[in-house]
Amino acid sequence: MANPEAPGVDDVIAEPGIEPGASAETMLVTTDSFEEYEQEMSNSIDDRQMKESTTSTISELQEDIREAPPTPTAVSPTEPKPEPPDDLELEDNTQQLSLNSLEIDPLRNTTWLAQRKHIFILSQAGKPIYSRHSSEDKLVTLMGVMQALVSFVQAGNDMIRSVHAGDTNFVFVVKGPLILVTVSKTLESVPQLVLQLTYVYNQIVSVLTQSQLTRVYEQRRNFDLRRLLTGSERLIDHLLNFMDKEPAFFLGAIKCLPLLPSMRDAISQTIVQTCGKIKNLVFAILLANNQLVTLVRMKKYFIHPADLHLIQNLVASSESFKTVESWTPICLPKFDSNGFMHGHVSYLAEDCQACLLLLTVDKDVFYSLSDAKQKIVEKLRRTNCLEAINESMNKASITTAEIGLPEMRHVLYKCKSTAQFWSPGFQPPYTTDEEIERLLGLYQCLHHRLHAPNRPLKLIFQQLDKETMLAWVTSGFELYLTFEPLVTKPDAINSVSKLLKWIKKEEERLFILNSPTF
Amino acid sequence: MYNDMPKVDLKVVLLGSSNVGKTSLLERFIDDRFNENLPNQSTIGAAFASKEVCVNNIKFTLGIWDTAGSERYQSMTKLYYRGAKAAIVCYDVTNLESWERAKYWVRELRSVEETCVVYLCGTKKDILDEGKTATPDLDIVERYAAGIQCKFYLVSNKTGEKTSELFDEISKDYISDPDNLHSVMEAITLTANSKTDSRCCPIG
Ligand SMILES: Nc1nc2c(ncn2[C@@H]2O[C@H](COP(=O)(O)OP(=O)(O)OP(=O)(O)O)[C@@H](O)[C@H]2O)c(=O)[nH]1
Ligand SMILES: [Mg+2]
Repeated sequence: MANPEAPGVDDVIAEPGIEPGASAETMLVTTDSFEEYEQEMSNSIDDRQMKESTTSTISELQEDIREAPPTPTAVSPTEPKPEPPDDLELEDNTQQLSLNSLEIDPLRNTTWLAQRKHIFILSQAGKPIYSRHSSEDKLVTLMGVMQALVSFVQAGNDMIRSVHAGDTNFVFVVKGPLILVTVSKTLESVPQLVLQLTYVYNQIVSVLTQSQLTRVYEQRRNFDLRRLLTGSERLIDHLLNFMDKEPAFFLGAIKCLPLLPSMRDAISQTIVQTCGKIKNLVFAILLANNQLVTLVRMKKYFIHPADLHLIQNLVASSESFKTVESWTPICLPKFDSNGFMHGHVSYLAEDCQACLLLLTVDKDVFYSLSDAKQKIVEKLRRTNCLEAINESMNKASITTAEIGLPEMRHVLYKCKSTAQFWSPGFQPPYTTDEEIERLLGLYQCLHHRLHAPNRPLKLIFQQLDKETMLAWVTSGFELYLTFEPLVTKPDAINSVSKLLKWIKKEEERLFILNSPTF
Repeated sequence: MYNDMPKVDLKVVLLGSSNVGKTSLLERFIDDRFNENLPNQSTIGAAFASKEVCVNNIKFTLGIWDTAGSERYQSMTKLYYRGAKAAIVCYDVTNLESWERAKYWVRELRSVEETCVVYLCGTKKDILDEGKTATPDLDIVERYAAGIQCKFYLVSNKTGEKTSELFDEISKDYISDPDNLHSVMEAITLTANSKTDSRCCPIG
């Protein structure tokens, strides 16, 4: 069980302050802790909205581009934030909810009922917008109940956040004009589920912008949002599946494609040189197999991991990027929730399936970007960079066995100062989807206990039936490890130390340690 | 400022409701394939692809803008048909609503892009072959097309029926206009001068 005073663990790092992968330079917005990440995910949009007219990053950028004198930014008085509500134990309402539910059709369906995680989105007026496992219009009554529940609690100036019934968590998030609900039988904690719902909300904002979302409901409270969301259901569907199997989301971090630093630098420099003259380009992002190859940014601007996750989701769920060049309006909620960026999105080449996104605030530069992309690809081909990307993409990830750590099965290593993480390839028994999801569930439990707001832990050593888990957080990194079930604590700690040495040795290949700018 | 110009001779735009098969038509033209196993791939924003064609031994490039049919992109669609020399207005032959929408696009183009040649395209012909009835009746569509003097193509992206004919026709119509032929030839001379390899096949 948990033991915060495991001896010797702090000796694992010989020289403190040289956490593998640490860097003073970063292109990602970093947060110190999960609570902060979660808070920030939820708050910033509302904060921004309050200051809407004065600080829109995109209009700021457009101003800069026009080289107009900067407009004085009035500081709006910050209103006191309402206290975060406490969780409510609403036993009575829970019962009502399940009673009512039984009278509704899909709820008679056992497969539907057995789904591990439902997600529902409805408007504050109770109109169904989205349901993960069934068509939302069959759930009018259920959504009505949810809406009633939320407004009933809101009327008492309180906010409903979660209800627990047996092994099921009902979690509610009310954001802007929307109510998002999950009914989950997974082991994920309430904050983790809230984070996921916030991601879903951000996905909607990413398609519509916060201001459009607010506007349509101001004009008509009864608006049917599905009209505006047609065609983007796949983004939400994919995001939900993505979050079920990708640790990146709860870690709040990004995984990089392993590459020789010289190759990665060559790629970044090619992008910088080719795009340097295109004034209003804000970010150039190259993704391969969902991992970051490089990110070049305009000086002064950073990208938040949560925004990058939405970009990864867009790429992973859009097949057509592979054949054509797309010109896609995309709102990055953390960057500027009220405006669209325009993304030139395309794969590098038929024989190199890495996806390049060139994000600008200028909607009239498609052909310039298309041209730039062509030149980038030509140069990358000449300098063998395409080959290097392919080689890394096609190579199976190294396993802990191959690193020489026989008792260690798997690990998640997050470097806090760069918001990047690394994980090895899966090996038995984690080779089926179910086993992988189960493992991820274990990591999420550890993650929750490390970050439990009232009693955060630094170290957890936990012997389970099928594996032994170890989690360890320091000021520089977070580590989540899976061992053979019978491993002893000294052996485990010993192999952690070996692992950290290995990561340190490989850090230049596994992580992006600089932050190129245009 | 920039000279943000396409390096294509003939700009074509695809218009029509969501789900009628614009992207599928483009994929047929570019790669001659149809991917049925990918539902929900509704276009986000717009997409662009270009392809070189050869008519009467004159090579030139078609640049095609595939727009998104979803309502939320409607205001952006204008950007894409501005300056288009040809437009393919698509509707799903079994979907009346998409037909109404197609007529809207034809009217819109006629009023704001007078020089743009409009081609009407009924998609998913294979569904008719399986026994479904066309809505509206194909007679009505043909009469409408004749009335506004635009060519009508009944295609199937699934089987590939008539899709290449449609693009061939667009290319031929374009090059048969002496003004267009002139500008294509000028572009060829320019490239031939700046590059050693000519992209033109011998004319004759
Ligand atoms: N049977 C049949 N199905 C087709 C045909 N063309 C397209 N489809 C299907 O219709 C659906 C929509 O096709 P898309 O090409 O994505 O439609 P779109 O017009 O680009 O839609 P938006 O991007 O939302 O505007 C897909 O499931 C295609 O497989 C066709 O000729 N026959
Ligand atoms: Mg499309």
